[in-house]
Amino acid sequence: MRKITLFIVLIHFSFSIHGQTIDGLSVGFESNSTWYNDDKKTGDFADEANKDQDEHFRANNYLKIDYNFLSKLTASVQIESYEPFALLNYSTNFEGTNLGTYSLSYKTSNIDATIGHFYEQFGSGLILRNWEDRQLGINNALFGGKVSYRLLDVVDLTAVYGNHRVGFETSDGTIFGFNSEFELDSVFKWDEIALNIGFSYVGREDKIDLENPNYKPTTNAFSGRVDFNYRNFYSSVEYVTKSEDAIVQVNQVSNDFIKPGNGILFNTGYSKRGFGLDATFRRLENMSFYSNRKKSGNIFFENIINYTPGLTKQHDYLLTNIFVYQAQSAVSFLDPALLKAGEIGGQLDFFYNIKKETLLGGKYGTKMAFNAAYWAGLKGAFDYANQDYETEMFGFGSKYFSDVSLEIRKKWNPKWRSIFYYVNQYYNKKEIEGNFGAKPIVTNIGVIESTHKLGNGKSIRIEAQKLWSDSEKHDWIGGTFEFNLSSKISFYINDIYNNGDDSSTAKTHYYNAGGSYTKGATRVGLNYGRQRAGLVCVGGVCRFVPEATGLTATVTMAF
Amino acid sequence: MNKIITYGLLIISSFSFAQELPSLVLKDLDGNDINLNTLVESENIFVFSFWATWCVPCINELDAISEVYEDWQDETKVKLIAIATDDTRTKKRVRPMVNGKGWEYLVLYDDNQDLKRALNITTLPHTLVLKNQKIIQRRTGYNPGVEDELYEIIKENSN
Repeated sequence: MRKITLFIVLIHFSFSIHGQTIDGLSVGFESNSTWYNDDKKTGDFADEANKDQDEHFRANNYLKIDYNFLSKLTASVQIESYEPFALLNYSTNFEGTNLGTYSLSYKTSNIDATIGHFYEQFGSGLILRNWEDRQLGINNALFGGKVSYRLLDVVDLTAVYGNHRVGFETSDGTIFGFNSEFELDSVFKWDEIALNIGFSYVGREDKIDLENPNYKPTTNAFSGRVDFNYRNFYSSVEYVTKSEDAIVQVNQVSNDFIKPGNGILFNTGYSKRGFGLDATFRRLENMSFYSNRKKSGNIFFENIINYTPGLTKQHDYLLTNIFVYQAQSAVSFLDPALLKAGEIGGQLDFFYNIKKETLLGGKYGTKMAFNAAYWAGLKGAFDYANQDYETEMFGFGSKYFSDVSLEIRKKWNPKWRSIFYYVNQYYNKKEIEGNFGAKPIVTNIGVIESTHKLGNGKSIRIEAQKLWSDSEKHDWIGGTFEFNLSSKISFYINDIYNNGDDSSTAKTHYYNAGGSYTKGATRVGLNYGRQRAGLVCVGGVCRFVPEATGLTATVTMAF
Repeated sequence: MNKIITYGLLIISSFSFAQELPSLVLKDLDGNDINLNTLVESENIFVFSFWATWCVPCINELDAISEVYEDWQDETKVKLIAIATDDTRTKKRVRPMVNGKGWEYLVLYDDNQDLKRALNITTLPHTLVLKNQKIIQRRTGYNPGVEDELYEIIKENSN
C-alpha cells in the first residue's frame, strides 16, 4: 500500500516536471467487478475457495503504466487490486492490492534487455511461454532478467533467467532458458524462399525434499524447429524433448514413476487469394511442465512453463462451447480403466471465397470456412501395476474428441448479412475429464446469425442456436438479440436453455442482458445474468467455473 | 485504495498526449521482419486494426472495410495494417483465413501479444489511426457502421 502511494506521488511529480510533453507514456486501466446475488433457482452465493458467504461484491482492477524515456528505456508497472476478494474462481493467491509486475527495459536496434517481470515465448510456446490472461486469471510472467541480441540481421539470440510470478509472490522453482533463431534465406539471399530454423533450451530447477530421489532437481527441455515458405506454400515442424522427471498425479509426486516427455508439431498449408488450406498434426507425450512439480495440472495454470493449447477451432457461440476439448498432455494412471500418457491428432482448415457475380457467389460473393479436428489418446502398452508404459510413435489410442464445422458468411444486400454455422462434435467425457460414469456424447449444433443495418449507425443482430445430441441429457436451445443504438451504445440479451434431463443444467435459463458504451478507447459495460457452470476458454486454455448469478460492471480504458 | 487509483487516473487523463508506436519488429505472413517505426515513416495515414481469427466482430469489421478498401486507398492512400493477436492455438489459421477472404491488408503476427500489451489494449477489436507516426485516434469494439466513422477521420486527416 505504501509502495503504491509513493508510486502515484512519483508519477504526479514526474508529470509536473515534464508538463505536457509526456510523449512516451502509455496507460491502460481495466476494472471487472461483480455483485453476486443469491439465486432462488440455483442456490445462494458461496465462495468455497475463500470460505466466504458474505462478501457479495468482488472487484478485480488492473492499472498498467508504461513510460518510455531517454528514447531507449522503458519502465513498466502493473498495479492489481482484488478487493475484498477476487472474483469467483480466481486463485486465492490473487489477494489484496499490490504491485503485480514491474520492469525496466533497455532497447536499441539490436539489443533488448529487461530486468523485472517479462513475458517471453520460444517458438510456438511448446517449450516456454509466459503470458497474461486476466479473464482466466493467468499471469506466469518470469521475474528475473532477459537479454536478446540480434546479430547481423539474421540471427536472434535470447537468454532468460527467473522465477514464475504466482499471485503476488514468485515460485521457488527457477527457470533458465536460451533461444536462437536463424534466418537462412537472408544468409543465402533467397528471394522466393523463406527458411528459418530455431533451437531452444529450457531448464527448470525445483528442489526435491526426499532422501533418495530417483530423479534430478533439474529437468532439461530442448526444442528444434524449421519454418519453410515458398510462394503460396508453407510448412513448419517442431520437435521437443523433456528429460526424465517424476510423474505427478493429483499433487502427488511419485518417486517410482519416472518418465521423459516429448512433442511433435507439424503444420503445412497452401493459400492464395480466395483460397486457403491448412493442416496441423501434433503428438504430445508427458509434456506437463511446471516450475513447481507439485502444482502440475493445477486448475489456475500457476507455475506453468509451456503452452499446449487444445488444437481445435475456437467456436464463437454459446452452444458450441458446452463440450470443449482441452489438450491432454499429461500422464494419468488414476485407474486401470483410464490410462493416459498424452494425445495424438490434428486438424484441417479450409477457407474459400466464392467469387462475386457467380451462381453461388451472388452479387457480393460468399465466404466459407470448414474445419475438422480429431484427437485420440496414445496407443501403447500400459502397465498399471508397475506404473509404466511404452507408447507407439504414430499409434492412435481411444478417441477423445472430434469436431467438424462449416461456416458460411453471406451478404445479401447493403443492409443485410448472415452467417450460417454448423458443428458436429464427439466428446469423450470419461477419457477427457476422468469421469468414470460418463458416456461419450455426440452433438449437432446449428446457428443462424443475421445483422441488419438500419441507418444512422443503428443496427440489429439476431442469433438463433440449437443443440441436438444422442443423449437424453442435452437438448439445448438458445438465442441472442442485440441492438446497436449508435456506434457508441449497444444493448444485448441472450438466453440458453436445456430441455434435456441433465441434473445440473436442466430446465434452467442461463440468461444475460446488458449494455455498453464506447467512446474512443474507453468502454463501459453493465451486465446482469446467470453463468452456466462449465469451461471458460480463451486462446485454447480453459478453466472450469461454477454457476453464479450477478451484476457485473466492466470498465476498460487506454491512453 | 480505489481512491488512489481514481486519483491516479484523473491526473493521467487530465493531460492530452500523442503516443507513438513502440519500437518493435513483427513478422509478416511470409516470415519477413517488419520494423513498425520504419513501416509508418510516411505522410500517409495508417490504420492499425488489432484482431484475431476467433473474434467475430473483428472479422466483421475487416470484412466490411475490405469491401470499400480500394476506394479508401484511391482517395486517401490510407494503409491498413491488420495485427493478428492469435496465439499458437489459432495462429496457423491466420494466413489461410486472410487469403481465403481475399483481404488486401498487410497482416503482421503479434502471437505473444507484445505490441498489444505495450499499447495497453485489453479488448478486441481495437483500432488505431496514425498520422506522422503519432496515434491520433483509438477505438475499441465494432458495431456495423463504425467503418464509416473511421473513414471520416481518415479523410479529415489526409492531405
